Amino acid sequence: MKYVHADLKASAEAFKRLLPAEDILQFPFSDGAGRKYVCFFADAITDKDLLGEQVLRPLFTYRGETAAKALAAHITAPEVRRSREMKTLAEEVLAGNPVLLWEGMDEGLCVGTKKVPVRAVAEPPTDVAIKGPREGFVEDVKTNTALVRKRLKTGELKIEFLTVGRRSKTSVALCYLEGTSPAGAAEAVREKLSAIEIDCVPDASYLARFLSDRPYSLVKQVGTTEKPDIFCAKLAEGRVGVLTDGSPIALTTPYLLIEDFQSGEDYFVPAARATFTRFLRLFALLIAIYLPAFYIASQLFKLQLLPVKLLLTIAGSIQDVPLSPSLEMLLVLLLLEILNEASIRMPKYVGMALSVVGALVLGETAVSAGFVSTPAIIIIAFSGIGLYAVPNLIEETSVVRLAMLLVAGSIGTYGIVLFSGLILAYLVSTENFGIPLAAPFAPLVGRDLKDALAKFHLMSLKHRPVSLGSPNKRRQK
Amino acid sequence: MTASRLNARQILFFLAAVAPAGKLVLLPSLLAAQAKNDLLFPILLQVCVQAALVFAVLLLARRERTVYALLADMVGSICAKALCILFAAFLLFAAFVPLIEQKLLVQSLFYDTLPSYVAFAPFFLFSAYLCAKPLNALGRMWDVLAPLFCIGLFGILLLSAGSADFGALAPAGGAGAGGFLRGSAYSSSWFFDAALLLPLVGKFPYRKGLAWKGMLCYLAGGGALLLFLAVYFGVFSDIAVTQLFAFAHMSKYFSGITAMGRIDYLFIFAVAFVMTFYAAMPIHAAAETVSEAFGRRKPLAALLSLGMNAALFALLFALNFAPSATIAAITERAFWVFPAVGAGAAGLLLLLDGVQALQRRRHAD
Amino acid sequence: MRTKHWLKTLPAKLWIALAALVAFTFFSNDFGLVDIQKTAIILAAGVDRTEEGFELTAQIAVPKGSDRTTGGTSSVEIEGRGATVADCLAAIYAQTGWVPKLVFCDLILLGEEAARSGALDALDFFLRNEYSPDSCLLAVCEGSAGETLKAASAIDDASSLALEKLFSDAAKRSGRVMTATMREFAIGHYGASASGYMPYVRMIAQKGPEEGAGGGQNTAAEEGEEKLFSAEQTALFSAGRMTGILTEEETAAFSLLKGNVYGGALPAGDATLAVLKNSGGVSLQAETLTAKLSIGLKVRIAARAAASSPENVATNRVTQAECLAAEQALEKAVRSLWARCAEAECDLFFLRRTLWRRSPEKYAALKDTPLSEIALSTEISVEGLR
Repeated sequence: MKYVHADLKASAEAFKRLLPAEDILQFPFSDGAGRKYVCFFADAITDKDLLGEQVLRPLFTYRGETAAKALAAHITAPEVRRSREMKTLAEEVLAGNPVLLWEGMDEGLCVGTKKVPVRAVAEPPTDVAIKGPREGFVEDVKTNTALVRKRLKTGELKIEFLTVGRRSKTSVALCYLEGTSPAGAAEAVREKLSAIEIDCVPDASYLARFLSDRPYSLVKQVGTTEKPDIFCAKLAEGRVGVLTDGSPIALTTPYLLIEDFQSGEDYFVPAARATFTRFLRLFALLIAIYLPAFYIASQLFKLQLLPVKLLLTIAGSIQDVPLSPSLEMLLVLLLLEILNEASIRMPKYVGMALSVVGALVLGETAVSAGFVSTPAIIIIAFSGIGLYAVPNLIEETSVVRLAMLLVAGSIGTYGIVLFSGLILAYLVSTENFGIPLAAPFAPLVGRDLKDALAKFHLMSLKHRPVSLGSPNKRRQK
Repeated sequence: MTASRLNARQILFFLAAVAPAGKLVLLPSLLAAQAKNDLLFPILLQVCVQAALVFAVLLLARRERTVYALLADMVGSICAKALCILFAAFLLFAAFVPLIEQKLLVQSLFYDTLPSYVAFAPFFLFSAYLCAKPLNALGRMWDVLAPLFCIGLFGILLLSAGSADFGALAPAGGAGAGGFLRGSAYSSSWFFDAALLLPLVGKFPYRKGLAWKGMLCYLAGGGALLLFLAVYFGVFSDIAVTQLFAFAHMSKYFSGITAMGRIDYLFIFAVAFVMTFYAAMPIHAAAETVSEAFGRRKPLAALLSLGMNAALFALLFALNFAPSATIAAITERAFWVFPAVGAGAAGLLLLLDGVQALQRRRHAD
Repeated sequence: MRTKHWLKTLPAKLWIALAALVAFTFFSNDFGLVDIQKTAIILAAGVDRTEEGFELTAQIAVPKGSDRTTGGTSSVEIEGRGATVADCLAAIYAQTGWVPKLVFCDLILLGEEAARSGALDALDFFLRNEYSPDSCLLAVCEGSAGETLKAASAIDDASSLALEKLFSDAAKRSGRVMTATMREFAIGHYGASASGYMPYVRMIAQKGPEEGAGGGQNTAAEEGEEKLFSAEQTALFSAGRMTGILTEEETAAFSLLKGNVYGGALPAGDATLAVLKNSGGVSLQAETLTAKLSIGLKVRIAARAAASSPENVATNRVTQAECLAAEQALEKAVRSLWARCAEAECDLFFLRRTLWRRSPEKYAALKDTPLSEIALSTEISVEGLR
């Protein structure tokens, strides 16, 4: 049965067949005139108090017409929808909105009283700010859109809801500022989202892959943030945002690589400080990637990379180590990655114990036992810390670091240079939604350099980034 | 596959700060051997000639049509294809000097002991990858490489200038006319930048005055090269001829190096990084020329890139035991090919284009 | 269709192949690889002449292992003999299995015999070796270079490090030592002047502690006799051969002529002056018609009294008499320096090079003028700081 039938019994049975799950409950009742009704709702995600207060209580005493329009007017719920399609009504039930069927009517009423368990708005653990807003997105798309709307009180802010995932029916909100986002940008994102054919979208990262022009790429091509203030700032620059139900991570596109070197806090501190921190992040990232590689190259291929005294210190430390310098470094790096992976996945208190085991027992004992040398541990520790200076790029940079290490151990210093060249060629040729990833450096966009690595004073940032191609160029007079 | 396009600014960046990178390895010592303290004069001549050719090539670009399209209009598509293949062969020939330089540089700069040949082989993988990249990516690379080269060269010059005795450049004319002529002739193999631009003609928008700007940028790059050579000869003067990779050595006499270690390597590696890209440029230009003539299809570009690099690798491997003889053969015997093809191609194309424009005007009248 | 799919997946396949290749080379890396453990890091080299050619003594740094409590740098001296310097290095490789690396060689010491018979024969290998830095310091030593390098130093674990301290910028500013790097020496030698100089090192015996200090592995250290080094004399070279030695006074005068000295001592009769400022210069006049060359050596010094009298303690002013005495002493040293250069036929002030740079014609006409025939004029000025 595709449509609701006037015979309540048949309709209810058909509906139950459509939703046989045990947490889909049905509540049969009669109104004041003795007419029969059945209310279907999903347990746990329906606000039963609200359902009783706004729907059932008014109906128990109702004696008026049974036309859907009249009934909808009688119940006191503000959000009521009508539909004849069983499938649509079933989807509403699954989303937490109860459906009402009654005798003699071939139409159902759907009441917006869903109650999804929602985590309270809190500071995201991956993007902690000392200065600036502390609110973070949560797993509920409605709450997230509210957080965005709270910051952009303009009619130009468009929020379009789409459903993605054949089975998960995940609600996805497409956000953009009309007139500020480039012409066709929102359409392009909508088109890509609509074209997604997947069972389930458990997290925004699934959508990020589908939004990428090079889905197999190692480098991410969609920006991510957990903070509504950053999300809104990005929308205001002309980007298009995507909020996904069930994920606290918001996506923004087009993405520029430089975004991950900028933090929300940069805009709340003096420009000189922000510039310094951005360069520091870049330096830390370069250290993280290149330090282990150059350490190996300096021992195997090009001694002159180190001052002679340091070289002799290292030579002294490694002379009893049974592994070659490259294998030793690989071993320590893998050990760090394992510790890292284990401490993230483990419960908090066990994780702390693991850190102690990792740092003290494994590190210290390995050095004393002569398995690895102290400089190797120091180098990898530096590298590990450096990686976290740019937390949004950890996945990419840790792979690049490993590759750089392998190349340095195989071909040496020249390998490092060639691999760096390869990375450069790859980065500059990557585009998403027609916007080059490496802008504003490649291609060079002079005006955007005011807020790239260097950060100029807020007063001088009068224009939106040219790289993003916003039709509304000026943001400040 | 549609042709991706460059930006006019990127062309200027290439001329000012990428093209000079290819002239810092063996050229200085060759000049010191031939022209001695007069080494600046042959380079001044070469830079001026190339700047004029760059002007001509950029003037050709004002119609925003590719060289193949221009040739096909003039001589028919079959002849145009043949000419493109010949030109690509010239570019591959021109690639030899930068490649051998790269190979020798790798041995000297990146290793403390002579490495096996395997160490240089990955360059061809890198080059093959680079050559398969579209032009807009190449232009963006120049956007990054140009400032990097400027920083690197500035750092090297800053650290070396203190050790330079510029009096070593005196007396002007000390090497005589013979030295000047030999220096000019033998350095020709390094000056084919205008020819490198030819495959790019029609693939960037021509703006008013671009030809002048291009010429001035090339002269600015040439100025930087002359300054480098002056400092180089100032630092090494009578032993300059033995300094094959001077740019990697001349800054080590800076007194701060003793305390901090070889900090100058930061600048040296920056310049060497740019050189690595420059060494692949002639192969990229050759692949671009042929792929333009035979239709732009992605597999063709990739196969051409792979094929050309594999061929050059095989040739270089075969010449492994005779790098000096190869360099000598190209620079001392076949040097005339470079000005002949570079000037000939640019001049001829400009002439034919002019004639065609005249014919069009007469036809319209 | 199949071809199209194959082409589409080709890049991924190529990447995988490349990754496998890199992993293979990483794990099986031995393409003539010389890692730090197989390397002999040569800190200094001493070259002596022998009947069959050369004897090279390489001072090789030895890592101290994980025990870092003792500090300093341990070293060991290994000798190699052969017809050429390259043969000597090959002999060291053959004897020890270590690959000698010269990239950190900061000092090359020539034995007196090697310097007299032709320094460039010994140095040419280092000059042309791509992996040997031409920024390294050069010195000639009294007697054998090998013995000097093997000597236990009283001030450092390795003799070469003690010697390098003598050639520091601070030592140069005192005016008591004139240093030369390989590059500077080679430029002087291959230029129109064909001349050069190096510090001349002598060992001074000093009785040290019974067991020796610093944990060095030198044999002399075991004997308990430690040495100090002096480099206050300067060896003169002409056409690549050592042809003379400047005394301490002449070396100091040469330093002052170069304008190197800040804070050095200047004898002024019975007193000693402290040099506060110094400038120096060499001027050359060439008269083509008369085929005469004349040279002017000019030194200007601002000084103060090194030891003050009670009444002059606040200012340390120098007296007119002291200035005059200092000028006379310096004049004498400068003239002696010039005479020594003429005697050694060492164009220490690169006059021929200056002449060539000024005028190739004059150079052609006057280049063979013996130094002893060049007229000398001096202009010495010592004054108190005003």
